[in-house]
Amino acid sequence: MKILKLGIIRGVIAQIVGTAAGVGLVTGLRALMGLPAWAAEPAAVGGALIGIICFLAGVGALTDWWKWALGEEVEDHHGPDPRGWERYFGVSVDHKVIGIQYGVTSVALLLVAGSFALTFRTELVASGIQFLSPALYNTLMGLHGIVMIAAILLGVGAMSNYLVPLMIGARDMAFPRLNAFAYWVNVPGAVLVVSTLFLGGFDTGWTGYPPLSARAPLAMQMFFLGVYVVGLSSILGSLNIIVTTLRMRAPGMNMFRMPIFVWASFATALIGLTATQLIGLSFQMVMIQRLFGMGFFDPEKGGNVILFQHLFWFYSHPAVYVFILPGLGIVSELLPVFARKPLFGYKWIAMSSLAIALVGFLVWAHHMFTAGMEEYLRVPFMYATLLVAVPTGVKFFSWVGTIWRGKLEFPTPMLFTLGAVVVFLFGGLTGPPNGTVATDLHLHDTYWVVGHFHNTMFGGFVYPFFASIYYWFPKITGRKLDERLGKIHFWLMTPAFWVMTFGMMWIGLLGMRRRIADYDPAQGFDGVHLVLTIAAFVLATSILVFVINLIFSVKGGEAAEGNVWRSRSPEWQIASPAPEHNYDRPFKVVGEPYDYGLPGSTYVDMNPAMAGD
Amino acid sequence: MKHFIVVGVLVIIVAALVSMGLGSIQLMPTQASAQAVPIDNLFGMHVKVISFLFSLIVVFLVYSIVVFRRKKGEEGDGDHFEGHTGLEIAWTIAPLATVLYFSYLGAQALAETRRADPQAMQVNVIGSQWSWRFEYPELGIVSDELRLPANRQVLLKLSSIDVIHSFWVPEFRVKQDALPGANMVKELRITPTLIGDYKVRCAELCGLQHAYMESPVIVMEPAGFDAWVIRQTALPTDPVDRGALWAKQFGCVACHSTDGATIVGPTWQGLSGKQETLTDGTTVTVDADFLHTAIVSPDAQVPQGFAPGIMPKNFGDTLSAEQINDIIAYIESLK
Amino acid sequence: MSADTAHMTDYKFKLSNNRLGLWLFILSDSFVFGGLLVTRYYLLGGHRPELDQMLGLIVTSVLLVSSFFMNRAETAIAHGDRQNFIVSTAITMILGIGFLVGVIGFEWRTAPFGPSDGAAGSVFYMMTGMHAFHVLTGVLFLFVVLRNGLRGRYSAERHWAVEACANYWHFVDVVWIFFYPALYLLGTPAG
Ligand code: HEA
Ligand code: HEA
Ligand code: HEC
Ligand code: CUA
Ligand SMILES: [Cu+2]
Repeated sequence: MKILKLGIIRGVIAQIVGTAAGVGLVTGLRALMGLPAWAAEPAAVGGALIGIICFLAGVGALTDWWKWALGEEVEDHHGPDPRGWERYFGVSVDHKVIGIQYGVTSVALLLVAGSFALTFRTELVASGIQFLSPALYNTLMGLHGIVMIAAILLGVGAMSNYLVPLMIGARDMAFPRLNAFAYWVNVPGAVLVVSTLFLGGFDTGWTGYPPLSARAPLAMQMFFLGVYVVGLSSILGSLNIIVTTLRMRAPGMNMFRMPIFVWASFATALIGLTATQLIGLSFQMVMIQRLFGMGFFDPEKGGNVILFQHLFWFYSHPAVYVFILPGLGIVSELLPVFARKPLFGYKWIAMSSLAIALVGFLVWAHHMFTAGMEEYLRVPFMYATLLVAVPTGVKFFSWVGTIWRGKLEFPTPMLFTLGAVVVFLFGGLTGPPNGTVATDLHLHDTYWVVGHFHNTMFGGFVYPFFASIYYWFPKITGRKLDERLGKIHFWLMTPAFWVMTFGMMWIGLLGMRRRIADYDPAQGFDGVHLVLTIAAFVLATSILVFVINLIFSVKGGEAAEGNVWRSRSPEWQIASPAPEHNYDRPFKVVGEPYDYGLPGSTYVDMNPAMAGD
Repeated sequence: MKHFIVVGVLVIIVAALVSMGLGSIQLMPTQASAQAVPIDNLFGMHVKVISFLFSLIVVFLVYSIVVFRRKKGEEGDGDHFEGHTGLEIAWTIAPLATVLYFSYLGAQALAETRRADPQAMQVNVIGSQWSWRFEYPELGIVSDELRLPANRQVLLKLSSIDVIHSFWVPEFRVKQDALPGANMVKELRITPTLIGDYKVRCAELCGLQHAYMESPVIVMEPAGFDAWVIRQTALPTDPVDRGALWAKQFGCVACHSTDGATIVGPTWQGLSGKQETLTDGTTVTVDADFLHTAIVSPDAQVPQGFAPGIMPKNFGDTLSAEQINDIIAYIESLK
Repeated sequence: MSADTAHMTDYKFKLSNNRLGLWLFILSDSFVFGGLLVTRYYLLGGHRPELDQMLGLIVTSVLLVSSFFMNRAETAIAHGDRQNFIVSTAITMILGIGFLVGVIGFEWRTAPFGPSDGAAGSVFYMMTGMHAFHVLTGVLFLFVVLRNGLRGRYSAERHWAVEACANYWHFVDVVWIFFYPALYLLGTPAG
């Protein structure tokens, strides 16, 4: 059976078998305990849990640890992966393979979630119900949100996994096996989240607030469990990034000589490592409340619905900085290359990432200004929220400083970088009106907020992610993406995007609530919604162009040898695609990373004289 | 230096244009409450700052793109310029001062929206899936629409009997969630200033029919309001009419139709006297006793095709015995 | 450089990585327990669940004593004293199981409320349950260490697994030092 050689096939089969076994196990246990044997919800949760574990075992992500527990010797570095496409479908511990696995999964999820958006946008094209029942609308809307967020987390994983070890001159991540595990655990997680569509849906949006989520159909449990698992991946991935950054840098690379993206990644990982635990906890508590009748969020049992919101946003606000910090790192990384000028204020930009990450921990309650939380918290949280504007501003002003008097070039990656700056700027600037409590009383839960966060997420993640794909594609494949298609992608996407988010913000101010399957025709939003839907389809077309470009260029793109963008970064000083163990020998850092325009300066010495030689 | 002067002038021009452009389109709904005033003022200031900052950065960006782009045949790199600590400090301090000032303004505006008038009229607002109920405890009125006299502050006490809802009338600006739980009653103060018809629109996702959880809000002349109060306090004498009233006020009709259609629960048309098949397979005839049980403990007898746990379980507490009898009479009248 | 010393430096390098990784994991995990403490104070405030004080004191002592033996096991293997290492590890494991029996077997059964009886019940079962889950993983970890120890896998120079197990065990113990007063001692009892 050749096909069983592919880890992912083994994993999926194991997941199916494991789920069935789990359902049987729970039912059997209940029978033994004298409870009514069949209960759909405990059986499904038990099945899903065991299914996840079986997937991981089946794919082979647990093999080494199992051997270790049995006392067998295991090598840290496996032999070479199978050549060709097969290696992407099984467990590999090579950070480059894992990075690409993350990236491809991320793009796939983006398409899935985008298709959900297109579906419900079509429903919103006019007031009245067109073709979606409110129940299905709610499910698609919530799934769109959460699958997009999963896509972002995986995209962030893709960028940091692929780039960090290459940029700091490491052979691999500090914990390669953990790295593989952290990727693979996402796959059954994503399967569970999407399975909600077939298990009756859920109607809470991506935030899953109880008590609504405590009453939602069975699918709610799959949502919680799936997201929990994706969160686990984030935690382990972050741990790996922190250790790698702190311990695996090439000789001479002190913290302030790292490529700036590594700083961004590091700051991101600090959030992912810690805050993520609390969304996990809050979701677990609702799951347990549903399974065992506990009363955390049930007022009739002495619970409190606000508690959930505190725990949830303690993660989910910092999470928005997880979405953007790597993206902003990419912007800082690419601007100097295409402006041929040093990064303006390197240390300030590096520190601003840390500052955003740290202040980001202190602002979560700005999502709860109208929620009926403790009133005395509103004003302090307003001050903290607005403070985030300061380090973010430092980045923007420094970027302007970087391109001022540069020698600018505009290949596709640069277009997306500049797009990111403008789009994120507007998204960020629409944050403070949400942050000043009085105005948020009006803005909360309207399309204004929807506009705000699409702007920040596109500017902070989607644009930079595209920029990085166009930029590092030659590194990954040895071929370039087609420039012409790339430009079409950009010039279709950008105007459509602006129309979409401006429209959202405008009707939001005028009274359009979010998360509604149908709207009151008396408010007169039909026309704007029509335009929004058209814009969404144009946007989707541009992404289709991108996907075609990807598929075409992997095999048929123009060959791109060597340092295509004339970058100083170490990963461009070696062959493309990068060799199995990155660098034959450790390089030595001898200069500053961004000294463009300083004749004769070098950043890395690729062939340093070794002490022992 | 020449570049800076040109860009500076451009920034001012563009910012002014953007700000004027935004000022010329309608950004906010009609302003119909005293609380809307500080909010709109603050938002207006935000719009000005956003226009300025957006123009500032974008003009610099576009100027660099146009003026400093690599010309044909041009080789070499840009200036080697690594940073400027003075500038960095300046653009840390200036935004810091701005946001501190805005926080101060935000706190002021918040305090203004909460200023209490001791003469305020109290209304208890109770949200349920998917309707609103308004109780005027001082007047002894229960209503499914919110009628308010103009220019008199009303103190809303918000609560919910099931999940979280959110009270929002866009024209009044302010918004507050209504939470389940006895000790979670939340307050909101509104002084309507403009006579007219509005709608309270539930702003927190509350399940299936969330989109339709809208109820009329009518701001009237004080004299008209008083007349309405007098009309309301007289109850119909026919139990069937009273039952219809309760069914509307307590939100039954959000889930039960009277014309044969299934909304969320079974229709009431032809319910009485019907042979109902329950989920456990048994068949019963719907009589007054059945209806009574169905109302006070809905999960006890679930008709086929419906799920338990959807209909609120506490109508036994919120409805008086007479009200339940009225509703039963009303259901029985729906042949 | 001989191949052997190269191997050793390599091992030392990885050891430092592993140590940092473990500490980060503990940092991350402590957010879960922090969240649970917040939940406890948010829902119960100055009240505490009505619990069997004697039992609480016993399980707490058992867990604290186990940490002592865990420490002894680690010190022993660091000095190459295999005999002592095996015995201490086994004792730690038995004490850990004893703790679990005390909490799950007795406390859960005798508590005057079930998991679905009000906020106190929810908080108590969630906190002890989450902690017990960690103790259980610790016991499994100890079992693996014991088994591999019996086969002579660890030496004075190379015993990262023992060290990791010990640090994890101490961590779980420290968590209980916060949980015990929060559940048994602080505040006034409420039914
Ligand atoms: C990538 C994601 C991302 C990012 C980066 C941000 C950034 C910010 N967000 Fe946003 N936000 C979301 C994603 C994001 N947000 C999401 C998803 C939601 C909705 C969640 C849900 O309910 O589903 C949300 C909701 C949300 C709310 C709750 C709204 C509500 O529901 O009522 C608030 C309230 O304060 C807020 C504020 C802010 C602020 C102040 C920033 C700041 O960080 C912005 C800082 C940046 C700038 C200000 C621009 C650059 C700065 C300068 C040029 C310097 C000078 C500036 C000044 C002096 C002002 N956001
Ligand atoms: C990264 C994050 C992200 C991204 C990129 C998007 C992208 C889009 N979003 Fe998203 N959105 C969210 C995150 C995101 N959204 C979140 C978190 C919410 C909140 C949910 C909640 O309230 O719970 C939300 C809510 C939300 C709403 C509000 C719903 C409501 O409140 O009722 C709307 C409404 O218009 C909307 C529209 C869109 C559209 C049209 C796009 C477009 O950009 C999509 C463009 C299309 C594609 C990317 C796909 C392209 C597909 C093809 C070309 C077809 C080919 C397909 C295959 C090969 C399979 N989104
Ligand atoms: C949130 C939705 C909802 C609301 C509000 C609601 N119901 Fe129901 N009702 C249902 C559902 C669903 C069922 C069927 C399942 C069940 O019996 O629990 C039902 C069943 C019933 C039945 C039994 C019908 C049959 O065919 O056997 C009666 C009678 C009834 N409701 C009366 C009322 C009254 C009176 C009110 C208001 C005071 C009310 N309901 C409010 C959802 C609702
Ligand atoms: Cu009630 Cu939405
Ligand atoms: Cu936030």
